[in-house]
Amino acid sequence: MRLHEYEAREIFSKYGINIQLGKLAKTTQEALQIATNIGVPVVLKSQVLVGGRGKAGGIKIIDNLNEVERAADEILKSEIKGYKPEGVLVLKKIEIEKEIYLGMTIERTSGIPIIMLCSEGGVDIEEVAHRNPEKIFKLSVDPLQNLYSFQIINIVKKIGLTGKTLIGVVNAVFKLYQVFKAYDGLIAEINPLVITENQEIFCVDAVLEVDDSALFRHPELNKRKLNNMSERDKRLMEKGATFVKLNGNIGLICSGAGLAMATMDLVKDYPPLAPANFLETGGGITSELMFDCMELVLEQPGLKAVLINIYGGINPIHEGAKGIAKAIREKKVNIPVVAKALGNRQEETWKTLEEAGVYVIKESETQQAVKFLSELLGVKK
Amino acid sequence: MSILINRNTQVLVQGITGNIGTTQTKLMLKEGTKILAGVTPGKGGERVENIPVFDTVEEVVSNFSIDVSVLFVPATVAKDSVLEAINSGIKLVVLITEHIPVHDVMEMKAYVFQKKALLIGPTTPGIITPGECKIGILPANMFCSGSVGIISRSGTLAYEVAANLCKIGIGQSTVVGMGADLVAGTNLVDILKLFNQDKETKVVVLVGEVGGTQEEDAALFISAKMSKPVVAYIAGASVPPGKRMGHAGAIIERGKGSAKSKIEALSVAGVKAANKLYEIPSLVKDLLL
Repeated sequence: MRLHEYEAREIFSKYGINIQLGKLAKTTQEALQIATNIGVPVVLKSQVLVGGRGKAGGIKIIDNLNEVERAADEILKSEIKGYKPEGVLVLKKIEIEKEIYLGMTIERTSGIPIIMLCSEGGVDIEEVAHRNPEKIFKLSVDPLQNLYSFQIINIVKKIGLTGKTLIGVVNAVFKLYQVFKAYDGLIAEINPLVITENQEIFCVDAVLEVDDSALFRHPELNKRKLNNMSERDKRLMEKGATFVKLNGNIGLICSGAGLAMATMDLVKDYPPLAPANFLETGGGITSELMFDCMELVLEQPGLKAVLINIYGGINPIHEGAKGIAKAIREKKVNIPVVAKALGNRQEETWKTLEEAGVYVIKESETQQAVKFLSELLGVKK
Repeated sequence: MSILINRNTQVLVQGITGNIGTTQTKLMLKEGTKILAGVTPGKGGERVENIPVFDTVEEVVSNFSIDVSVLFVPATVAKDSVLEAINSGIKLVVLITEHIPVHDVMEMKAYVFQKKALLIGPTTPGIITPGECKIGILPANMFCSGSVGIISRSGTLAYEVAANLCKIGIGQSTVVGMGADLVAGTNLVDILKLFNQDKETKVVVLVGEVGGTQEEDAALFISAKMSKPVVAYIAGASVPPGKRMGHAGAIIERGKGSAKSKIEALSVAGVKAANKLYEIPSLVKDLLL
């Protein structure tokens, strides 16, 4: 779950990281009110959950109070990469002496948290990492131990800081790691971490992504996530299914992410056929879940067919088949549904599906199912 | 011969009284798996399929010699249960449970490493040595006995690859599902090492997918140490990259992680890369001749 900047900075602040004065405005009047309270110059920042918002015009520096409403209005009305902002963050502008990059994430292969620091923070950090990887300093943290100050001091010294700023940045690293641990972070990032003329340290952008699997430990975030979801999406999430909308014409339902991706790779071999979605059921298939999956997939306009590719290992596919059959009957589905379903209780599964008019593929190769589907739709490779 | 498990492997099931635990215990017994005991706190003294249930792993290991524990426990208690098994001296833990917080997985992984044990999973379908022993949820009718080792980051793709091989008469020595989470208890390289030493395994099939750098690491190991031929398939070549926020992920992977990067690295290491799923059986067949 990705948090908005305004939410992340409040959490960072709660842990003792210095943030700029200011807060979220939902309307132009609110923006003006906040700007009046904190005083110009202010920075207005669009609250969208995508990167590159600065380059897309989502950040404006305003020197005059008279201009706040107009600029806020522009930001509130502008979508960025197709996303509507949740509001505009109004912040007191600070004088920047130096920008540092501070990020932490999980190194997947070794399974350990990594803290990264670079003396050249700012929007071009990925470019720096690519051109001069030696400028990024990394600290691995033993998951079974605490992070100690001496470890942080060692790495912060490498980016050339001394005295008051050294200690200030060490504190920021320490506190951000506390947030990362406490919030089950996948990514926690401050870019830039700013050093002012007075050698004060400020968090000027805040990124926090929380592990969805850990939301049971963060009821307040879980509640917020659920508030933004439909009943069906909640049921899908509860069962562990993952859906991503794409732009093609073949609806896909697969058990397992790897299988889903492999199936998508095969469908793409038959243009103009293309996946309309990625849908991975996870290991919690029930009749209801498959009904929900069918309903969700069928919403895509211009769908030519549905392809189901499921295995019965942990999943009771014979139960899943009932949900598919129910969806076909109740939704009066009139496009072809092709299903390959193998594993435990496959014969029962096939019977239920065939009775509902599904074309059942009993071979183990997904390619057979995709080829059958393409022939059914008159598409040649 | 096989790796990790065989007909003599003695198994404990943690979470045996749950719905999935009970169902899967029956299916494992059907394949000849020697399940000696189960654990569910609070259900000590009960029986599941005539297998005795205990409250703790400690009680089990003082009564039986256990080689492997397989876990069907809720995600919220998974870390606790894995640590319990490891603390009782069990050297191989197979964690089937999905949706475990990754910070818990990191702790488990570090702890298991410290104790010189092995954790397969989480989100793994488990391990099967066809005809001898099945530990986990893999549907046995997809597998047959033979000399190909399979390691797969995706559970259901492992089933499909095995079934497609069986269809042309090629069986498997052992099939290992690595688990699909952000962090896996055991990496591809660890299992490649075992297959490399296993006399019965003639060819290894590596099924990877986009994300992470395990396949790139495997390529380094293969070119330096692997004495057996490897066939690889990477799922997700056509998958659009996800929406990103924050730079930390990109900085750390530095261009690795895509299907293209993985296939290139593996090809350079001498691996036969299958561009499509259906190319795997014929590539394996050529190498077995």
